[in-house]
Amino acid sequence: MEPNSPLIDVVNLSKAFGPKVVLSNVNLSVKEGESLVVLGGSGTGKTVLLRNIMGLLTPDSGHVSVDGNIIHQLKRDELFQVRKKIGMCFQMAALFDSMTVEGNIGFPLKRHTQMSPGEIADRVDECLNLVGLRGCQKLKPSELSGGMKRRVGFARAIALKPQILLFDEPTTGLDPVMTDVIGRVILDLKHELGVTTITITHDLKSAFEIADRIALLFRGEVIACEPGSTFRDNPHPIVQQFLRGDADGPFLQDPPPPKRTNHAIYHPLTGVAP
Amino acid sequence: MLTSLLDKIGRRALVALEQAGDFSVVSGRAFAAVFRRPFDTANLMRQFVAVGVNSIPVIVLTSLAVSLVFALQLAYGFKQFQAEGLAAQVNGLAITRELAPVISGLMLAGRVGSAMAAELGTMQVTEQIDALECLATDPVHYLFVPRLLASAIMLPLLTAMAIYVGYWGGYMLLVGAEGQSATVYASDFYKLLDVRDVRIALTKALVFGIIIALVGCWRGYRTQGGAEGVGNAPTSSVVTSSLWILIADFFLTKLLLV
Repeated sequence: MEPNSPLIDVVNLSKAFGPKVVLSNVNLSVKEGESLVVLGGSGTGKTVLLRNIMGLLTPDSGHVSVDGNIIHQLKRDELFQVRKKIGMCFQMAALFDSMTVEGNIGFPLKRHTQMSPGEIADRVDECLNLVGLRGCQKLKPSELSGGMKRRVGFARAIALKPQILLFDEPTTGLDPVMTDVIGRVILDLKHELGVTTITITHDLKSAFEIADRIALLFRGEVIACEPGSTFRDNPHPIVQQFLRGDADGPFLQDPPPPKRTNHAIYHPLTGVAP
Repeated sequence: MLTSLLDKIGRRALVALEQAGDFSVVSGRAFAAVFRRPFDTANLMRQFVAVGVNSIPVIVLTSLAVSLVFALQLAYGFKQFQAEGLAAQVNGLAITRELAPVISGLMLAGRVGSAMAAELGTMQVTEQIDALECLATDPVHYLFVPRLLASAIMLPLLTAMAIYVGYWGGYMLLVGAEGQSATVYASDFYKLLDVRDVRIALTKALVFGIIIALVGCWRGYRTQGGAEGVGNAPTSSVVTSSLWILIADFFLTKLLLV
C-alpha cells in the first residue's frame, strides 16, 4: 500500500435489493487512524455500507478496498485474513448466547491464536477493562443490559487487536446516559488503541464527539462529507434539516403529518370542542 | 389464465432449483470442512451428547413400541395360516432391515434436525452467524461439521440399539404374551438375517444421519424474516429430511440388496 493512501476506500459502490436501490455510487475513504462517522436516517443504507466493507454483501458495482485488498475479489481464506484486522460491533451486539461473556471475548483468541487459557483469560480481562466492565466474565448474554451487551460486543471486537473498528449504530435504543457512556468508550478505544474507526449512528451528540469527519448518507448517496467542525455550517438543506431534527423539509419522501399548533380539548361527555 | 399459471409454476421451479443448488454447494462446503483445522473437540463432544446420548430414551421407547405392535400384527396374521413360527423370523428381518433404521431416522429428524434448524435459524436472525463471519470463522465449518459428524456417527449407534431393543420387544410379545418358546424365538429372530443385513441397516442410518444434519443446518443457516422464519425453519427441516429419508431408504434398499 502506498503511503497516504486510504486504509478503507469505498469506490463508486452501488447495491440494490431487487428494485430497491440502497446505495448508489457511494465514494468514501478513511485514512489510517482517522475516525469517520456516517450519519443518515433509517433505511438509508448505512448498515449495508458496513456489510459491504466486511464482505458480508457483494456490491452490484464499484468496490471496497481495505488495506489495498479489494474485498469482493478475495478468496475466502484471504477475506478471513483481512477480517482479522477489522473488529465489527453489531447493532444488537450479536453475542453468542450459548457462551458466557468470557467465552464470547475469548472466542476469536481461541480460534486464531496459540494463546494458553491463562493468557486468554488475561486478554479477556484487559478487553473488559477497556470497555469499562469488570468481573462479568461468567455472565451469560441474557443476564446483561443493552448497554452492557454492546460493550461486551466491543470487547469481543477488539480482542484480536484489530487495526479497524466498525460500529453499527452503537447507541440505538439506549437511554441518554448509557448513550454517553458508549460514546466515551468509543473515544477511549480510539485513543488507547489508535484504531481507524467507522461509526454509524443517528446520535448527533456522540457523532460530533467521536468524528474526525462526518458523512451524511441520504437515499443511498453521500451528500456531505467533511470535518466535524465545518459540518454544522454546511448549507445543504438536508444537512440542516437533519441537524435540526425537523420533520418539515426535503428529507422525507412523504410529507409528514401537519404540526398541530393548538390542541383542542374535547368535552369528555359531549365530544364537542369548546 | 394459462400464462399466469405457467408463470407461477416456472417461478416455483426456479426457486426449487435455486434452493437445491444452494443446498448442494453448502453441503459440499460442509464435507470439505470436515478435514479442515481447527478441530473443535469440545463442540463435537457437546453435539455427541445432544444428538446421541439425549436421544437414547426416545429411540428406546419408539423401537419398543414399534416392535411390540409389529410382533402383535405378525402373530395375529400368521395365526390365520397356522404359521405362528414365522412371526419371530419376519419380525427380526423387518426390524433389522427397515424398522430400526427408518424409525430411528425419522425420530432423530424430529428431535435433532428440528433443533439444529431452530438454533442456527435464531443465530442467523440475531446476526450471530454474521458475527462468526466477522470473527474470521467459517460458519459452515464451525456449526455444520460437529453436527454432521455427531449425527452421522450417532444414528448408526442408535440404530444398533434400536435393533437390540426391537429384539426384546418381539420377545416380550411373542414369548411373553403368545407363549412361544424362548429358545426358538432366539434362533428364529436371526434365522433370515446375516451380517450383511446389519451392515445395510447401519449404512442406511449413516446416510439418514447425514441427511438430517445437512437439511437441519442448511434450513437454519438460510433462515430469513425474523420470528416467522425461525418458526418455519424446524417444520420445513423435519418435513424435508423425513421425505428424503424415505426416498433414500427406497433407493438404498434397492442398491444394497442387489
